[in-house]
Amino acid sequence: MTDWQKYPGTDPVTTEIVRNGVLAVTEEMKNNLMRTAYNTIIYEALDFTVGIFTPEGETVSIGIGLPMFIRGMAETVKAKIRHFGEDGIKPGDIYVTNDAYLTGSHLNHMTFTLPVFDDGRLVGFACCMAHWIDIGGTLGGMTTDIYSEGLQVPILKYQNEGTVNTDLEDIIRMNVRIPSRAMGDLRAQVTAVKTGERRFLELVRRYGFDAVRDSIAAIMDHAEEASRRRTLSIPDGVYEAESFMDDDGIDVGRRIPIRVKIVVEGDEMTIDLSDVSEQVRGFYNSGVTTGHACTQVAFKCIASPTDYPINDGAFRNLKTIVPMGKVVSAVRPAPMRWWMTFPMTVVDTVFKALEPAIPDRVIAGHHADLVVVMFHGINPRTREFFIGNFGPQGGGWGAKLTEDGANAVVCINDGDTHNAPIEQAETKSPVLIENNCLIRDSGGAGRQRGGLGIERVVRARSDIVVNTQIERMNCRPWGLDGGGDATGNTVALELDGKWKEDFPNAKVLTAQLKEGEAFRLRSGGGGGFGDPLDRPADIVAEDVRQGYVSIDSAERNYGVVVDPETLALDAEATQALRGKRRG
Amino acid sequence: MSTPAALVDGISGGVAKAGLEYADASLFLHGSTIAINTILERTGADTALVITEGFRDIYEIGRVNRPDAYNLYFKKHVPLIERAKRFEVPERMYAEGEIRTPLNETALRRLAKGLDGIESIAVLFLHAYRNPVHEIRAREILEEELPGVFVTVSHELSQEYREYERCSTVAANAYIGPTVRGYVDGIDSHIRASGFDGSFLVVQSTGGLFEAGQARSECVRMLESGPAAGVIGTRALCHILGLEDAISFDMGGTTAKSGVIHNGEVLTIGDTLIGGYEQGLPVQIAMMDIFEVGTGGGSLALLDESGALHVGPESAGADPGPACYGLGGNRPTVTDANLVLGRLDADRFLGGEMKLDREAAERAIATQVAEPLGLDVTEAAEGILRIASTAMSYAVKGVSTERGLDAASFSMVAYGGAGPLHATQVAREIGMKTIIVPLSPGHFSAFGMLFSDLRYDYVRTAPGRLADMEFGVMEQTYGEMAEQGREAIRRTSIEPEGIVISRAADMRYVGQEHPVTVPLDDKLFADEDRDGIKREFDKVHLERYGTNAPAEPGEIVSLRSSIVGKMPVPELRAYPNEGAGGASDAAAGSRQICFDRNAGYRETPSFDRTRLKPGHRIEGPAVVEEHASTTVLFPGDTLEVDDYLNLIITVAGYSS
Repeated sequence: MTDWQKYPGTDPVTTEIVRNGVLAVTEEMKNNLMRTAYNTIIYEALDFTVGIFTPEGETVSIGIGLPMFIRGMAETVKAKIRHFGEDGIKPGDIYVTNDAYLTGSHLNHMTFTLPVFDDGRLVGFACCMAHWIDIGGTLGGMTTDIYSEGLQVPILKYQNEGTVNTDLEDIIRMNVRIPSRAMGDLRAQVTAVKTGERRFLELVRRYGFDAVRDSIAAIMDHAEEASRRRTLSIPDGVYEAESFMDDDGIDVGRRIPIRVKIVVEGDEMTIDLSDVSEQVRGFYNSGVTTGHACTQVAFKCIASPTDYPINDGAFRNLKTIVPMGKVVSAVRPAPMRWWMTFPMTVVDTVFKALEPAIPDRVIAGHHADLVVVMFHGINPRTREFFIGNFGPQGGGWGAKLTEDGANAVVCINDGDTHNAPIEQAETKSPVLIENNCLIRDSGGAGRQRGGLGIERVVRARSDIVVNTQIERMNCRPWGLDGGGDATGNTVALELDGKWKEDFPNAKVLTAQLKEGEAFRLRSGGGGGFGDPLDRPADIVAEDVRQGYVSIDSAERNYGVVVDPETLALDAEATQALRGKRRG
Repeated sequence: MSTPAALVDGISGGVAKAGLEYADASLFLHGSTIAINTILERTGADTALVITEGFRDIYEIGRVNRPDAYNLYFKKHVPLIERAKRFEVPERMYAEGEIRTPLNETALRRLAKGLDGIESIAVLFLHAYRNPVHEIRAREILEEELPGVFVTVSHELSQEYREYERCSTVAANAYIGPTVRGYVDGIDSHIRASGFDGSFLVVQSTGGLFEAGQARSECVRMLESGPAAGVIGTRALCHILGLEDAISFDMGGTTAKSGVIHNGEVLTIGDTLIGGYEQGLPVQIAMMDIFEVGTGGGSLALLDESGALHVGPESAGADPGPACYGLGGNRPTVTDANLVLGRLDADRFLGGEMKLDREAAERAIATQVAEPLGLDVTEAAEGILRIASTAMSYAVKGVSTERGLDAASFSMVAYGGAGPLHATQVAREIGMKTIIVPLSPGHFSAFGMLFSDLRYDYVRTAPGRLADMEFGVMEQTYGEMAEQGREAIRRTSIEPEGIVISRAADMRYVGQEHPVTVPLDDKLFADEDRDGIKREFDKVHLERYGTNAPAEPGEIVSLRSSIVGKMPVPELRAYPNEGAGGASDAAAGSRQICFDRNAGYRETPSFDRTRLKPGHRIEGPAVVEEHASTTVLFPGDTLEVDDYLNLIITVAGYSS
């Protein structure tokens, strides 16, 4: 139980009021950013994160579209504090950067930070990262260093004591392909940090800074306490697991190892990424901030899954070891454009490692990729250059000890991220979407079945260039505890009326499609959990009736016989078949 | 399907109790939770979905988002129609509305013949909002093949793009259709049999009325009829009192809800999620913009594992209810805190019909909150109410700040069983200065219905840059919507006192994703004033988001129109005001009440609301008691009874 003497400025009641208050601040920042944003990735895909930070740069509350950005803003705020120093931070300032090695991600993540002052005293920071649709650099294809990926903005003052740095605006306008959208997104982000400033100040003025500061300290300590308690319930030990990525897009077919070692000792956990692959030549690298972020995401799922606000207290008992130069701690000039892909598999691998210790708190492998397609061309209707995408496609999630995996949900890099409505996509871009449906049998078999992936076929209505950077086609989502693997993520093209499906990976880095040609994306399923022969036969028959599992798969994987005419369970034949399989 | 006998008896009982005859009445107004409960309780019809080939799963796939982002046991929405009953037919429109694949009528007829035992069918075809001919034809075929089955097609409910949301809307309509139809028919036949010869109207989620015959087929329009009626009542009060801006504060047992009156009009939105954000089913139709938080009288005060205090959203519900109900509940709630602090009177709850157990309330708070936190019971109870009040203040602020409005400059209209009990404390959190507690705050929704008008809302997705929009085309679209609304009004048995048609457009800057709804005066179209339309949009954008970009070009996403048939406004009786004075005639004793943990308890007078007269003034601290509600005045607050017996409260520090 909490010793409230430690927080002289506050009490249990004020602390709860402040907790609700900071959640409301980040919620409003998020709403304002979303609604004023200019691009689908921010509005529909919610690829952004907003937050409130202490004067030292510790996370107080982040409103998150993107879980994998759980560290990106705090590290950026701290770097800005270091850069300007205490004396250089002034009321009316707004700082900006998209330094990929600082945010740990790619150059599209423009990050704005506003120091909040109350009567001359620095009381915190409001910060907002959002994904710009284009930041210059090569359009599609592969990149092999950061310089080909677009405009790099070091830590700068976008606004200096109230005066906007118009030179910077001019530089941005000249370096991006769609300046009006970039400037619209910039304005939206400024609105978001100003909203954060206004609302956080209201809280500080209503209750006093001492009360807010001490409440935040209590909130963080509570988060730590909860996290320690839930770590303590994990048996002490060393847990290891290994998985692989398909390749880095350059050395096609050369698997890339993801090895994690976890040490649980009492109420503390260490996640060691020393044996994760070195940084790679293709653009799948991320910075050390993301190395820490992916262990935090995995840790939060285990130790504080539904605790809010998300704050740094919950991670005080987590230690991450990640030497520089790994694929999740890459150094300049490593290319970073698809930073988000590999860390997702790191998260899944942590769950795999911990399965023997806490089978009820982990999950089988998921499709672990955005499964996003970027396409561009000239829109014949407006005769303007366009860049189109449908947001992340979503795919299958792994099964758990006690539940089936979810069908058709966005990967773990993303959280409250939406796909784009089909009717909207067809209105905006010259494409026709022929289907968007679940893929039968794509989930891994198991006592608990893995979730299903999605198929989408898209036909070009004018010439377009298509790019995919998709992973985990060959290294498929795995099952746990005897559960089966799922299908992987795949890409196919229909050129000259013929489907081409035999790509060595799912990275179709530039494909020229003529009017009338098509592409197809299939997202993978989720792995199964437990022996499929233990899945109740009537549930397998119901899966067949609903079309989630085929008659053939029911028999082959589950040993369940279903009448092809009536779809009724043949209990007798099932019993015999299962008996035989079990030997 | 029949109407619950208890409801019919209740209606007749009420009529008899009022000493009236059905035959004397010309209007029967009804709001109901039947539609929403059928969805929330999953008790709807055996329903099938017919959908464009290739898209059977969009209802299940949804938007693929995962708001509960770190919870590996997250849950997705569960469709109202299982996968085995979702069927595809060949047909396809382009986004421009041209036919790519004609509707395969043979396939549809074959499908219909296999739908034995299905009670209801929803149809969604892609881009039907641009060209509905396939949906219209599908409806004809399904009605021919399956007489008596409820058939509903998406474009009749929503003419906006977003296929998943429109699919969920039409699926919900089909799912609740047979139930709602049976319910409405049951009431209709009962009141007709009892001699009623007038119009039977139902409240929609917009707060507008439509005729029972329309409610039978467009059932989803009445999902939120209860909360909407309260906001309409708030608007009516505003008109009577000459107020332009107000926020309603409706607090019950499990939630607090707020809606907004701005410039004398209710604010509406175009879609919502039924059943919460994480697992909710979207419904894309016009409805009152209502912001809700999970704080009510039954909200539990509890300590988490780390010893932090939270209030709600977990609720004790009605059964077992708060500890003080003595119905088996022993966990402390907001109601228990009110009782411990004396703000509720143990002997006067529900007019004394239910005696509350103060000792049980004290015990629950002492053992589960106060002692573990090292507080005394009073501090703990007072803290519970402060946490609840700030949480509810976010509902009130949320509904206004999302619109760029400043809640502090609005008046609050407080109702619902618990609204008047907490209103002065919530208003303080926001800095609101005036609170109005209407007559019978527990039945304010019914009052609201009397001031509602016939209302029909239409939207047409019609994307294009403002600079390229042809006024002739827009005029035609608005004209069609107006005619559709007039026709809907003509089909009722009502002759409205007038028809008011208003126009709006959903607009955004070119390249922006999210549009805002901009009310547009007819004159802008008559004058073909593009710049004027743009200026209105810039203004709304600035108001709502604190920023705009007048130099950037604008575009239109959808055109909206609402057609309102004005109903006669009942005249409220003004009571004689015999001059200002104290309320000593209404004095009903006093008790110890705590308003401030530092000041402790103080002897506080209570008043009987039924004996308050126009002009009476009360200085806080005080409480005003009535059958289902208690109004609390903090020290320094002042209350004046107006000519309509509303309580007008001025919060301390804002002397009028």
